[in-house]
Amino acid sequence: MDTIDCDVHCAPSSFDELFPYLSDYWRQYIAEAGIRLTGVAHAYPGGVSPPAPSSYSELASHVLEGRTPPGLVVLNCVTGFETHRNPYFTAAVASAINDWVRSEFLERDSRLRASVVVSSVSPDDAVSEIERVGEDPRFVQVLLPVRSDLPWGHKNNHSMFAAARSAGLQIGLHAWGRAGKAPTPSGFTTTYLEDYVGNQPIAQAQVLSFVSEGVFERFDDMRVVVTECGFAWLAPLLWRFDKDWKGVWREVPWLKRRPSEYVTEHFRFTTAPAHLPIDAAAVGQLLEMMDAPGMLAYASDYPHDHGDGLAPLLEQLSEDERERVLWGNAAALYGLEDAHARRRGRAESGPPPVAGSR
Amino acid sequence: MSSRVETSSSPVAVGVRTVELVDCDVHAQATEAMLAGYLGASARRMLERYGRRTPRVTEWYPRARHSGMRVDAWPGKPGHIWGSDPELTREQLLDEFDVDYAVLEVLSGQDCYDHPDFAAEWNSAVNQWQVDQWLSFDPRFRGTIAVAHEYPALAVAEIERRAGDDRFVAVLLPASAAEQLGSPKYWPIYEAATAAGRPVAFHTGGYVDHRGAGYPSFYLDYHVGNGIVMQSQLASMVAGGMFDAVPGLRVVLTECGVAWAAALRWSLDAAFELVRDAHPRLQRKPSEYIDEHVWFTTQPIEEPDDPQHLVYAISQARLGHRLLFATDYPHWDFDSPKQALPRSFEPSMRQAILCDNALSLYGLPGERAV
Repeated sequence: MDTIDCDVHCAPSSFDELFPYLSDYWRQYIAEAGIRLTGVAHAYPGGVSPPAPSSYSELASHVLEGRTPPGLVVLNCVTGFETHRNPYFTAAVASAINDWVRSEFLERDSRLRASVVVSSVSPDDAVSEIERVGEDPRFVQVLLPVRSDLPWGHKNNHSMFAAARSAGLQIGLHAWGRAGKAPTPSGFTTTYLEDYVGNQPIAQAQVLSFVSEGVFERFDDMRVVVTECGFAWLAPLLWRFDKDWKGVWREVPWLKRRPSEYVTEHFRFTTAPAHLPIDAAAVGQLLEMMDAPGMLAYASDYPHDHGDGLAPLLEQLSEDERERVLWGNAAALYGLEDAHARRRGRAESGPPPVAGSR
Repeated sequence: MSSRVETSSSPVAVGVRTVELVDCDVHAQATEAMLAGYLGASARRMLERYGRRTPRVTEWYPRARHSGMRVDAWPGKPGHIWGSDPELTREQLLDEFDVDYAVLEVLSGQDCYDHPDFAAEWNSAVNQWQVDQWLSFDPRFRGTIAVAHEYPALAVAEIERRAGDDRFVAVLLPASAAEQLGSPKYWPIYEAATAAGRPVAFHTGGYVDHRGAGYPSFYLDYHVGNGIVMQSQLASMVAGGMFDAVPGLRVVLTECGVAWAAALRWSLDAAFELVRDAHPRLQRKPSEYIDEHVWFTTQPIEEPDDPQHLVYAISQARLGHRLLFATDYPHWDFDSPKQALPRSFEPSMRQAILCDNALSLYGLPGERAV
């Protein structure tokens, strides 16, 4: 079955690869201070995962030339999810990454799409960057780290969503980010396990924020794609969210519907890591508890390994539901329906897909 | 009623009643004036002249009405606030719902950073106030030992001071502290509680300066987020090795919801498989530690549209023998013993949640004099 892989990583192996896209000032800043890409804020340590592809040829050999290559790929570069606080630097790095992704990857294969990366400490700069590159139809969403200084739904961030929607982009919320302060709602962690699992509670906090702040009343066609943060936690969160809202709705008078209704309509979740129960009956219950066929979008999360993954859930879906998870939901989300038709056409008549079809 | 011997209107105990209902989260709340009388001269002067220095969470996230309390729980008595009057709690909770035991969780010491000298006296005052005003007032009230948790040596001393009083059934800690609750910093408290035969109850609230995703704007997302904080704490407790360090430790996660437990178990177990070598202390899968060491109170129990989904969530997390009923009186989201548990719960499960699980955890007698 054809797939859209909504989370494949690419990353420059060092700042050297970004130097062509940085000004003299920032090249000097990086070189003289000895700044390196430590990866601590998107912590897949070398022992846990191989590095993300830093060139098109690596990506092609690992992802695009397998036995069942994905039909389309959304590239996420989380190199900018760093610890730096200098807002001018974070903005310059974000621009450099987008230019690098565009010339190293998007220009070379029409199956590739990507996320626009932006400064995660400066909404103004994020807006400028979205305006600079967002009109390129190969960029499909704005990528934000799930860990943030201020929850993303906060009104200070709304200008970014307005810019994203004007450019036809959705919002991708990806695991990790903003290390340097306590990475969890319970404090500083001492083990990788806590940081890794900690992405899930933090994603929950972001779901609460987007809804509570009325983001979807203001941006009614915006979707938020929660990436690499699991999804099995969603239903119980919504049960409590709806219950509390019934009691304290006065505080958020802009909400016109139950919180769970906004979430079901506006959030999508990528499938790696799946972190599903071992027992098939419990997987079936999970499917009853959430609209998985409508809300999940397939991702391999290459090159990260999360264990067994999605198979136990896909097995319990109908053919049509599987198609939605593997292709349809992402196609609708990112406006890639044309690409599907074109691929089907190609299967019949042979022409290759054309870059920039969104 | 299951009283074996019918009682007359006499206040003298003339029979025994089989215990049917244990409420594991009831808030008694002392005003500062009530506790001031228990403080030594220096601490009292510090309180009266300078006050406690940390803003409470209600000053970050005001609760829409009546300070987030049931409107009928504010007594008319001068000097009293919600939860400060044992007579009103007896009337509105114990008598109204035939509660056999009500476990008090006094949060007066939990959400503030204090100097250690003051913190020790303050928490000791909270405990003595419980003894004098509540535990002596009605035998159905049971206490929890408030401690200066950021100063473990002082906390241990307070646990040892109260350990001889069986009416204290647990040691009380907040769900958020300066460090993660799995930190070895707090292990001496867990060791002392376990040595004293008490579980440690972690109650939602406390220090609010850790967020991971930044501060929410509203009470709504803050309050729903209490369940999220506890998920993160449970991950810390398991990953940090405290259940290996204190093998007999029993913890009660209080007022944080229950239905999220299954998904956390799945993710912890799946992640542990990938990074087992980083955790040489852990002898078993994370979920096995949770099965053995962790209890949950029910309120605010999640309410799916289809109540059967809650049954799923509880069975997926193997919580049937780990759930403890709680009303959270006098908070606005009070769960009534008559209505909170969905009809989809089997009678044996109801009995376990409403009574049996708590009796066995706290070692409470299954019959009481009436």
